[in-house]
Amino acid sequence: MTDSAIATNPTPVAAAAAVPSKLTVRDLHFHYNGFHALKGIDMDIPEKRVTAIIGPSGCGKSTLLRIFNRIYAIYPKLEANGSIELDGENILDPGYSMNRLRSKVGMVFQKPVPFPMTIFENVAYGIRHHEKLPKAEMENRVEQALRSSALWDEVKDKLKQNALGLSGGQQQRLCIARAIALKPDVLLLDEPTSALDPIATGRIEQLVEELKSQFTIVIVTHNMQQAARVSDLTAFMYLGELIEFDQTEKIFTKPDKKQTEDYITGRFG
Amino acid sequence: MNTGTDHIIKSYDTELTRLTGEIVRMGQLSVKQLEAAIDVVERRDERAAQRVVDNDDTIDRMEQEVSHDVVRLLALRAPMAGDLRNVFAALRIAADIERIGDYAANVAKRAIPLSMVAPVRPAAGLEHLATLAATGVRDVLAAYQDRDAERAHAVWQNDTVLDEAYTGYFRQLLTYMMEDPRNITPCTHLLFMAKNIERIGDHATNIAENVWFQVTGEPLQVPRRKLDETASADFSGLAVKPNKP
Repeated sequence: MTDSAIATNPTPVAAAAAVPSKLTVRDLHFHYNGFHALKGIDMDIPEKRVTAIIGPSGCGKSTLLRIFNRIYAIYPKLEANGSIELDGENILDPGYSMNRLRSKVGMVFQKPVPFPMTIFENVAYGIRHHEKLPKAEMENRVEQALRSSALWDEVKDKLKQNALGLSGGQQQRLCIARAIALKPDVLLLDEPTSALDPIATGRIEQLVEELKSQFTIVIVTHNMQQAARVSDLTAFMYLGELIEFDQTEKIFTKPDKKQTEDYITGRFG
Repeated sequence: MNTGTDHIIKSYDTELTRLTGEIVRMGQLSVKQLEAAIDVVERRDERAAQRVVDNDDTIDRMEQEVSHDVVRLLALRAPMAGDLRNVFAALRIAADIERIGDYAANVAKRAIPLSMVAPVRPAAGLEHLATLAATGVRDVLAAYQDRDAERAHAVWQNDTVLDEAYTGYFRQLLTYMMEDPRNITPCTHLLFMAKNIERIGDHATNIAENVWFQVTGEPLQVPRRKLDETASADFSGLAVKPNKP
């Protein structure tokens, strides 16, 4: 599809109008090293739904995800323009506290990155950063987070062991436990299963399904079958633009845009 | 819909193209079977009729191959969007063609007992129905091959012509049976054969619906007038008046 064709087919911003928007993205631009990585993204991410972002490498999907918790801010001279409203407040506003943002928007990365400490401390560490809890209450919070991430039964007898001894899949679920222990509103998953085997991947996907009743989940994945399996809505990005955003079933059976069709049917990479 | 661009994995294209080819060949064979069945009715050739019946096995085998290829494609390629509709439609179209083959074989099967009784005039009328049905199947196969939704829609709408012809033929056969009870046996066979041909038309419309869905992603849902009125029409006016003593 040509650029002019894209221009005449406005991107569906609100793919799930019936559900309130948790993250409202408007005219979002992002530049780094002189590269225009995101070109005016408009997107309403619905509350307590799983939104998948797909697209070829370099399309801007991980960049977009990382702007949702302003992780780019650790690098100087990077700036996002436009607005992303979380519950009506623009998280790009310099006045929006980073601490507050990180407690509201949790993130899990491609490679599991447990801290080199005990399983218990991995989960408790983030909570301590934000809250002072009595011991019993802390134990309860850690247990709840590990239960929610479907890891409790596997680790309840070895909470004092080093987290680095867990398998890759367990480590990734521990990272999810660490993120949800802070009771965030939004959970960002950046290719969370790309380093895992199919069984561990299945467990994470099942977990995503269970967690969506409590959290707004945004998942970036290279695996289109995974996007089809776990998400309610799918966004297709290409060259920094949001090409199509719609119900997952629609995207994978009858997308509106030729570029989406070509990508999901494996006609270009 | 097929966007006309090749897949990155070339063998995927080869498999999809082969699937289309299998469907088209299967459909062409079913039309040949129908034409052969009508030919044996006209020639009153029992042995040729039996050959047509036996040939139906080939269509059945082809359907099994299509099913096998569809399962393989679903399992190994995980088709999406237009490719998924392509594979899904192929499976359904193959099932319709298999039924068309069955109906053609049924016509040939009845040609055998029909050839054992004295010829009746309305037997010639069967050819007209068969020509209409064969044209519908040929057209819808072309629509499938070319991914032409409009042509498929035209076939779908045109089935009313076959339905009307069938109703007229039904009426004609009833008249013959009323006129002379010796016509009842051959005309009953012809009635069943005509019904089989009318059903072939219905399967052609099913194929048209699947072509439409494959190309557009939408179901073909416009209401269509059904003109096989033999179940509801009043044929009492055909009653033969009793001969005066």
